[in-house]
Amino acid sequence: MVDGGAQEPRREVDFVDADHWIDIFQLSARWRSGPEWNAFLEELDKEQAPSHLNTCNSSGLFHVVSQDKLTVSYVGSQHHGHDVGIIQADCPVPTRRAAYYFEMTVKNSGVKGQTSIGFTHQQYKMRRQPGWETNSCGYHGDDGNLYRGQGKGEPFGPRFGTGDTVGSGINFISQVFFFTKNGELVGSVPKEIRSNLYPTVAVHSQNEEVTVNFGNQPFLFDVESFIAEERFKQQQIIEKLPLPANVGHKIVRSYLLHYGYQDTLDSFDMASENTFPPISMAQDNVLNEQGDMYALQHRKILRQFIKNGEIDSAFQKLKEWYPQVLKDDMSAICFLLHSQRFIEYIRANNLECAVTYARAELAKFFASKSFSRLLQEIVALLAYGDPSDSCVGYFLDADQREFVADAVNAVVLSTNPEIEDAKSVLQSRLEKLLRQLTVCSLLRRQLRSDEGEVFYLHRELQNNRLGARG
Amino acid sequence: MSHFSTLRILDLIQTMATSKKVITREEWERKLRDVKIRKQDMNKLVMNFLVTEGFVEAADKFRIESGTEPDIDLATITDRMAVKKAVQSGDVLDAIEKVNDLNPEILDTNPQLYFHLQQQRLIELIRVGKVEEALEFAQEELAPRGEENQCFLDELERTVALLAFEDVKNCPYGELLDLSQRLKTASEVNAAILTSQSHEKEPKLPSLLKMLIWAQNQLDEKAVYPHITDLVKATLEDPAI
Repeated sequence: MVDGGAQEPRREVDFVDADHWIDIFQLSARWRSGPEWNAFLEELDKEQAPSHLNTCNSSGLFHVVSQDKLTVSYVGSQHHGHDVGIIQADCPVPTRRAAYYFEMTVKNSGVKGQTSIGFTHQQYKMRRQPGWETNSCGYHGDDGNLYRGQGKGEPFGPRFGTGDTVGSGINFISQVFFFTKNGELVGSVPKEIRSNLYPTVAVHSQNEEVTVNFGNQPFLFDVESFIAEERFKQQQIIEKLPLPANVGHKIVRSYLLHYGYQDTLDSFDMASENTFPPISMAQDNVLNEQGDMYALQHRKILRQFIKNGEIDSAFQKLKEWYPQVLKDDMSAICFLLHSQRFIEYIRANNLECAVTYARAELAKFFASKSFSRLLQEIVALLAYGDPSDSCVGYFLDADQREFVADAVNAVVLSTNPEIEDAKSVLQSRLEKLLRQLTVCSLLRRQLRSDEGEVFYLHRELQNNRLGARG
Repeated sequence: MSHFSTLRILDLIQTMATSKKVITREEWERKLRDVKIRKQDMNKLVMNFLVTEGFVEAADKFRIESGTEPDIDLATITDRMAVKKAVQSGDVLDAIEKVNDLNPEILDTNPQLYFHLQQQRLIELIRVGKVEEALEFAQEELAPRGEENQCFLDELERTVALLAFEDVKNCPYGELLDLSQRLKTASEVNAAILTSQSHEKEPKLPSLLKMLIWAQNQLDEKAVYPHITDLVKATLEDPAI
């Protein structure tokens, strides 16, 4: 997927409203159902994770692997340093996550106890211990040393042998390898190797036997808590950053203004004046520039009509107040309003009127390439006995009304003669900030060799880590 | 060659030498456009702000106007704000009673909060000059807790020290009498009530804004791209090349 995540192929609707030079299909509510969003979210995280040992990519001469492809034992004769029984997992470490971890239990430490665990690159020399060659990292049982491709090991942790369970992981938040022994963290080292690493284990003396656990069995090490702790540390750093005074209030206020949620705005302003100490924003010049106040009352009324499904009234008022936005009867806004009128007939189960209306007002839009596909989906509502339960049922959701209301709001804002950039009416400040946050987060991940969790606002809002500060 | 342009070129060379990824405004705007953000998510974010900050009427209006359901029972906000207001206006006893009405476990399981409320009560007594009552209260209610916990003891000593000064406002511990001390205690109570309702203590929006600042800072090390520096205006600045 391009740019790592919260993006998708553009829909065919790539249309610019000729009258106003804004594309109301860029609006954030959009024609999209809940299940579609969820499928998108799943797609975002879909990534193969190791489940067994790779029995093909190995020298094959010095070890045998059990039938379940999880246990490996040494069958070489150990004459030198190039007859190691080393084996990788069936696929590389998945990287769209905060951390990856796996474990290995030493069933038998054999004659010399030279079992090891770590990560190796795809093209690793499959006769050498992990850590002996470059592009690898390994924790060795016979000396407890850590090897990072520098030829000799560095003192790291305790040795391990028969009955011990050791673990090896990558923490993508802090970019380190970490190792555990019998459920306790041993230590970590900076991860200097780029992606495409494979979980790897090795045996290197007679009778040595190890079993790996890629997560099918519970881990001895509490990796969930470890990740939660690492996330918390990161969050703490971020939470310490200072924000300008009342910035949250100001952004919320401009959001209410932008979308014409006027009743909320009035309550919010009144309560803000009465907080302790008062926050007075109604007179804030910064907030009132860019024409956020423009046509507030009208926008509120139009929103209410659409919210209540009174499309005829919305049409009428729009014609009265802003005739210019309806001048072109093939414009996107006319299409949306007519479609919504049709949808409201369907909702009221008034199929006869729906058909009559479709023939009179909607049929002409089939000629337009920009609308025909959408229109086809909308008209399909007629085909179902229970349209709300059909695959096009999302047109009957409250979100659809909200979308049409947002579109009308945007075209009304675009009639403001003082507006400099017509495109700016499509997005509230909050939305601009959230888009910037998303792009920055995705690019940061991309520049960190495409590793770590993919930022997706919807998911951030669902977890309770935000706002839960210490 | 003028001095200015030499500097520009040096600047450019440095940028190239550190091989930062340079992203033009056009490219960046395309990326921004391709981001998919749901209106409902923004509405939820706003609702979460209103609810957590205690704008109960606005939250109710927003529910009607936007169709967004609050993530908490709005009635509990009214109670929570009443507690907060009691602390802010110095009526600590009333606040304690209201917290206990809401959920007696909050103070039982939160000795630090309970101590801070009692400390605030002592401060209020000192503020209005009720010296005898303050002494009695300190000895009976606060001193036993101070014995249990060194931090409490230090705070108690600082507070009692107020009594040693005739002009409390200008003494070294005068800050305890500031409005900010009340606000601090009030927000501690507020957070405890929210936690007891399994709700976050802080709204999500400020955390996201901090994440934006952080993400931009992090990205600065590796890329040159258009920033948003002024969060309130939310205008995109040209990349500084």
